[in-house]
Amino acid sequence: MVKTFLSIFISLALLLAAALFEHFYISNTFETFDIALNALEDKVREEIASREDAEAVRTLWEADKRNLHAVIPHNDISQIDYWLGETVSCIETRTYPDALSRLEVLQSICRQIPMTYKITFENIF
Amino acid sequence: MGLIFLRTTIIFIALLAVMRLMGKRQIGEMQPFEFVITLLIAELACIPMADISIPLLYGITSIVTIFFLHQLLLFLDLKCKPFKAIVGGKPSVVINKNGIDISQLKKNHLDLSDLIESMRSAGFFSLDDVAYALYESSGQFAAMPREDSKKENKVSLPVVIVDDGKYNEQNLSLTKTGRPYFEQILRDQKVRSVRNVFVLTVDGTGKIYMQCRGEHYRSFRVQLPEESAW
Repeated sequence: MVKTFLSIFISLALLLAAALFEHFYISNTFETFDIALNALEDKVREEIASREDAEAVRTLWEADKRNLHAVIPHNDISQIDYWLGETVSCIETRTYPDALSRLEVLQSICRQIPMTYKITFENIF
Repeated sequence: MGLIFLRTTIIFIALLAVMRLMGKRQIGEMQPFEFVITLLIAELACIPMADISIPLLYGITSIVTIFFLHQLLLFLDLKCKPFKAIVGGKPSVVINKNGIDISQLKKNHLDLSDLIESMRSAGFFSLDDVAYALYESSGQFAAMPREDSKKENKVSLPVVIVDDGKYNEQNLSLTKTGRPYFEQILRDQKVRSVRNVFVLTVDGTGKIYMQCRGEHYRSFRVQLPEESAW
């Protein structure tokens, strides 16, 4: 009986801890990434963004990506990789209007991904 | 992970409810919740293993959730008897002193052939040999032999002639009898129509087991036609 009770408690604690960790980790990571994207967007609007600025955002993303693979589907990560690559190349060729539209896509992905992990009716069903 | 926990719990409860509603024939030697776990766990382990776009942690979370639900149900099973009946079901007595309990058979989505098959597996070939029979909540069949049943000198397999109000034509030809022969027996027993008969079996010695709907079973002997032998 004690063993059963203990196993219920431990498994529930593990699940709750994992759920809380996932919630805060994903929210924080994408919040930080979104702030970096906003800063890059400001520079693109002013048409002063350089490849180094875009690479800095990419480096920040690459640092978080490894851990994110454990908690979010790899397809979502590939999508960000793709749009980030497009943005970097647009900034390098100084096609700022195109870079802006790609940044918009990236920002909307960054806002959507944490939303898909929230415990809401539409996500459960 | 919170979402996966909730989604796994919802699927588990839905499957468990469906398994309970399907009755005992779907389970087969397992408690309903054990059967649900067996169904789910293989899939949960397989999907993240085969689909590399899904993090392995998703599968692990689902499996831990299933483990948690299993332990929780085991705990409630031991501590709360009404809960045990709701989740695991109760044994169904399908044969009692009045004969076959048709309502219990229907409740568990079983028919006469399922019952006869279970009886044969348990070593009973005649409905008359059994005083009580039941399906456990796990779907296992158990029967208690009739103590007053006489040992027959001549051994013969009873065959079903009427099953749920309909003649079994194959068995009629096997026994080399015919509908008129049994219609006469029904008239002698004051049964208006074959549709009222739930079961009628006959063995090679002429021993008949008959039960009409809503009535006590009858067991009697008739003289079989001379050419009739199996």
